[in-house]
Amino acid sequence: MTDAAPGIMLSAAGASLGGKRILQPLTLHLTEPRIGILGRNGSGKTTLLRLIAGLIAPDAGSVRVDGIDPYQDRKGALAALGILFQNPDHQILFPTVEEELAFGLIQQGLPRPRALARAQEALRVEGRAHWARAPVTSLSQGQRHYLCLMAVLLMQPGTILLDEPLAGLDLPTQARLARRFATLSARLVTITHDPAGLNTADRVLWLEAGQIVADGPPGQVIPAFTDAMTREGARDADADLSG
Amino acid sequence: MLTPTFPGDSPLHRLAAGVKLAALAGLGIAVGATAQPVLLGLALVAVWLAYLPLGLTEAAGLPQRLWPLWPFVLVIGGWHLWRGTPEAGLIVILRMLTMFAAATLLLRTTRFDALLAAFSGLLRPFDRLGLPVDRIALALAMTVRFIPVLALRAEALATAWRARAARKPRHRLLAPLTLAALDEADRAAEALRARSGSV
Repeated sequence: MTDAAPGIMLSAAGASLGGKRILQPLTLHLTEPRIGILGRNGSGKTTLLRLIAGLIAPDAGSVRVDGIDPYQDRKGALAALGILFQNPDHQILFPTVEEELAFGLIQQGLPRPRALARAQEALRVEGRAHWARAPVTSLSQGQRHYLCLMAVLLMQPGTILLDEPLAGLDLPTQARLARRFATLSARLVTITHDPAGLNTADRVLWLEAGQIVADGPPGQVIPAFTDAMTREGARDADADLSG
Repeated sequence: MLTPTFPGDSPLHRLAAGVKLAALAGLGIAVGATAQPVLLGLALVAVWLAYLPLGLTEAAGLPQRLWPLWPFVLVIGGWHLWRGTPEAGLIVILRMLTMFAAATLLLRTTRFDALLAAFSGLLRPFDRLGLPVDRIALALAMTVRFIPVLALRAEALATAWRARAARKPRHRLLAPLTLAALDEADRAAEALRARSGSV
């Protein structure tokens, strides 16, 4: 295929929700190993992530991840990308830990017993073998987040999309997760409103009202973003309603 | 009434889900075929005794699990008392309680993935007719799975109500709970899509 370019390719891709345009047509080619997408609440960053993940279809233009259309070609998308939702409770489907971990593998075509064995093996490697039969409801918020990350990692996607991956977690959990992210060989796309975690990114994009307002190395984008947010805060902008 | 799986390793947990489903179906036929209140009462007691391998606490908790059925017991019992057929009413109530107790026991001792596999196995013959068997099995299993999820949601809503109100919420939670159910369905669909080839 000629369009099998590696990386995430958006060609004038836009998205609307309920008839309201959330993302202006964006043209982007993301190839760096560590990418950050910065924006405040309501800027359209979660919509952008869902668009890249193939959870919603673009209403204009096209999206390709390593040459695959993530909305149409779900089988291909499973190998190409994984997404970690902001709220683990929106991601977890199954009542016990090992079932939750095995689900994605079964979807990738692994027979159930082998998928369960892989799930248990992964838990053992992470020092969490005793979690296998535990009800997911018995895990803490941070532990559920970790479970979701493990479920995504087991599927070995080339790109992992992270939606506010550290928000709401206690400091030790944040530190451990950040360490875990740093060791991953997959391409990571992190969306967040908090620039603190993006200092080591290769490329940072600043999204505002569904448009990219800055795109570059963190040393250039983050100070500009922080300045703008401080000014906005000073003028009580959080009272504004979007749209 | 219907609750998440009881984590444990009793003989009932080890029994294959298909066997348990078949036993439940068999019990349903047997309970429907007899109209002897004494036999039906014995069947209810037998199902109750079958909870014992899960421990005394679990067995003692059965009446509480059946408690939400009280409006049905009241309506059916009242109707038959008014009609002057108390025995017929007793028979219907005993059948209902026995089957609910047995179904709850099955759900308490059967893992979700085992249930899903059993549904798939039962539907397999329809594969040849072109029915999307795996998707139907997933839908059936999800229906069962989301009963406890919604029960938790209802509890959370009731807590949120009580945090800012002096009166009990009662029926006023119906509308928000319906919306919550639709919300849960949307999210489950998205979570399924994120990690599977379909939906």
